[in-house]
Amino acid sequence: MKILVTAKRVEDPESKIKVKPDGSGIVPEGLKYKINPFDEIAVEEALRLSAAHTGDVVVVSIGTKDVHEQLRHALAMGATKAVWVNHTGALDQLAIARLLQKVVEKEKPDLVILGKQSIDDDQNQVGQYLAEFLGWSQATFASKVEALDSDAEKNKQPGLKLTADKKGLTVVREVDGGLSTLECSLPAVVTTDLRLNQPRYASLPGIMKAKSKPIEELTPAALAVDVAPKLTVTKLSSPPARKAGIKVADVPALVEKLKNEAKAF
Amino acid sequence: MATPTEQKTPSFMTSMCFGTIEEEQILPYPKTRPQDVELLKNVITSLDQLLKPHEKDFRAWDRAGEMPPSMIEELKQFGMFSLIIPESHGGMAMNATCYSRTLQEMAKYDGSVAVTVGAHSSIGMRGLVLFGTDAQKQQYFAKLASGEMIAAFCLTEPGSGSDAASIKTTAVKDGDHWVLNGNKLWITNGGIASFFTVFAKTGGQAERGNMTAFIVTKDMPGVSVGPHEDKMGLRASSTTTVHFDNVRIPAANVLGEVGKGFKVAMKILNSGRSGLGGGTIGVMKKLLALGTKQAKDRTQFGKPIAEFGLVKQKLGHLVVDCYATESTVNMLNHFVDSGVEEYAVEAAIAKVFGSEAMWRSCDEMLQVAGGNGYMCEFPYERIMRDARINRIFEGTNDILRLFISLTVLNEVGSSLKELSDSLKGIFDNPIKGFGVLSDYARRRAAIATGVKREKSHFTKLHPAVQEKGTLVEELTRDLAAAADRILRKHGKNIIGKQFATKRLADIMIDLFVLSCTLSRVSTAVQDKGAGNCTKELEILEVLSGQVRRRVKSNFNKIDDNDDEHIKSLANHALELEGYAWDNI
Ligand SMILES: Cc1cc2nc3c(=O)[nH]c(=O)nc-3n(C[C@H](O)[C@H](O)[C@H](O)COP(=O)(O)OP(=O)(O)OC[C@H]3O[C@@H](n4cnc5c(N)ncnc54)[C@H](O)[C@@H]3O)c2cc1C
Repeated sequence: MKILVTAKRVEDPESKIKVKPDGSGIVPEGLKYKINPFDEIAVEEALRLSAAHTGDVVVVSIGTKDVHEQLRHALAMGATKAVWVNHTGALDQLAIARLLQKVVEKEKPDLVILGKQSIDDDQNQVGQYLAEFLGWSQATFASKVEALDSDAEKNKQPGLKLTADKKGLTVVREVDGGLSTLECSLPAVVTTDLRLNQPRYASLPGIMKAKSKPIEELTPAALAVDVAPKLTVTKLSSPPARKAGIKVADVPALVEKLKNEAKAF
Repeated sequence: MATPTEQKTPSFMTSMCFGTIEEEQILPYPKTRPQDVELLKNVITSLDQLLKPHEKDFRAWDRAGEMPPSMIEELKQFGMFSLIIPESHGGMAMNATCYSRTLQEMAKYDGSVAVTVGAHSSIGMRGLVLFGTDAQKQQYFAKLASGEMIAAFCLTEPGSGSDAASIKTTAVKDGDHWVLNGNKLWITNGGIASFFTVFAKTGGQAERGNMTAFIVTKDMPGVSVGPHEDKMGLRASSTTTVHFDNVRIPAANVLGEVGKGFKVAMKILNSGRSGLGGGTIGVMKKLLALGTKQAKDRTQFGKPIAEFGLVKQKLGHLVVDCYATESTVNMLNHFVDSGVEEYAVEAAIAKVFGSEAMWRSCDEMLQVAGGNGYMCEFPYERIMRDARINRIFEGTNDILRLFISLTVLNEVGSSLKELSDSLKGIFDNPIKGFGVLSDYARRRAAIATGVKREKSHFTKLHPAVQEKGTLVEELTRDLAAAADRILRKHGKNIIGKQFATKRLADIMIDLFVLSCTLSRVSTAVQDKGAGNCTKELEILEVLSGQVRRRVKSNFNKIDDNDDEHIKSLANHALELEGYAWDNI
């Protein structure tokens, strides 16, 4: 079973993110980067599936050479090979989905797993576009029944399950107020939610092995994709700083403030 | 003034003591190689994932005074014991730069974990890397890399600490075996190790310092370890006694040459310093993150305490200390990685400066936290307890100061023709009393007298920092004059003049740290432009001011000091075993 996964390079949410004064982007100095956490879950799921059903995991990332860091990390986790789409500059979700479509057509996996969204832009679109462009079945927000502290999780059992005839996939989805289980035929596009699994860390031997694993370079031109954005980000701004709170003497004072100052009722 | 003309390239600081600035040794400031950057980023990402979930555990293990076997197991699985082992044996093949940086990251989380890993790689198995035969490496590397064997370094004994040459453990040849007997004290990893680098006397009772290093494994009959020590800090790291009772060691397990064990021990300690230095940087970075947050969150007198000058003063000094230590440790790592042979003095300087800067930082950030800093619920007190040992182990800072100056005084002394006769031999014997010193101090170099002045100036500095370069040049002349003056003043008696020796060491420490920082800032300005380096230029401004004032003061104290009074008062107290002036 061949599985293709994505590993987008995103700002580490633990580094201090500041918007540039002119709103054209964020200040890059001092930022740390990592694999989009949803993608990391996708990589983990793919590794578990491939361990259970033998197969290869191909990891894809789009961006400047900096994304090698994330590709190497996925390779160190255990992915078999990496594809780097070399591109500098902004991309919209449509262009990303088109690029991934071409990579998928080239790699011919049985399954594509992506994060449901990336934590930088929070768009939640690429997986859906991709399934549409490929004409494949899709299952979004994959989760699982077992809790993250269950034995199934500790034993690294996949949350996505192949059907008995191996031609389909059972996916538990997180929906408002519960879980819905659906079955889709392969090939399919699956996007991951947070509770699907707990990604492993790359061990040091894994990092050493990753050094000699191949990273194939492609470009939008070579893939014949027009990446001119149809959507552009015009301005970023920080949320307004929260004003300091105050202490009130007692409940009547609180009620008074809520009523007359906050106009809460 | 004299100048060195030995065959071997003298170390940067040795040259400085002759008034020579070997600027190409430190300029431009070394850059981490791209492949190392990539490796480190991957390692750090994984390390965070490994250690972050344990943040609460570290505190609990400190209280309990022990780390559970499951954590050691996790470290093994992660590959944490493979850092400096060659790739062909399943290791990470890290150079000093990468190794140091990896320990830095670990030290940000927990001292006990960092020292467990550090004692294995920095000293426990370093002898095998430096002196092991192919057969020995073949036999042990893979097991050490996987953590199947954890390593420990066994030098210290109940009666032998700083004076390492005085060990009593013996090894006696018996056919194709050696029979080992003795007791070792305070051995890091003692309770979890199965590979011991052990030092034992092989030269009979009278022959001081004749010792040999052996590889001893836990499965050899007669090896046993004592209970886990109850310590001030690093409480979760294993420290035990190790005992050898008629242990038969195959002759093939000799590490290095028979009789050259002292040199083996000193080389191991030298070469392991990049790990300890890295650790000090990690702790300072962590303290800066904790202290700045604390200062912003805590309000007194209606303002966050971060707005008060005396709080800012502590934070600002920590920034300078951290940057200066990092500049120095990185330079040391560069020396090691680029194959510089003479770096023992610089390694000792990095250890002394880093461990003391870290200690100041612990103290000051605990102060910023106030009463909270004193509470075990907050991390400051644990970080401080864990940090303290760094000024003691791997050579106390006092002994290292003596080592730093006596090593170069030896060279300067040899070069002073008119003194050479009166000095002859003084470093041969008494210095063995200083343990770590003897090997280096015994070196003899053919140094001609004469004044060579062409290398007394910087030519490669960025103009923006030239003024600080001129200061270093001036202080270098002071240093050379101080070395010369101290030797002329005390001659053969220098060994007994520890106050003067320490003063010279302090000047050398300051000058090396300033030189490394100057190089780093100069190169940063060259690369990024002065406009993008305003803070780094300020750091240099502060550090050079501190160094200038301290060096001048130490220089003046060569002649104008209270040494004899202080000694006399100490003698008085020693005689009374206490204090004489009660007011009731
Ligand atoms: C937690 C911990 C872990 C350790 N791990 C290891 C290990 O893994 N392997 C190992 O072999 N050892 C280990 N040690 C031992 C450590 O290296 C020694 O404690 C250290 O070398 C100092 O020796 P000492 O404690 O006997 O002090 P001493 O040598 O007794 O020194 C006491 C004081 O006297 C000063 N002093 C001694 N001689 C002189 C002199 N000539 N001139 C001026 N001042 C002097 C010292 O600077 C110090 O201040 C460890 C110790 C601790 C506490």
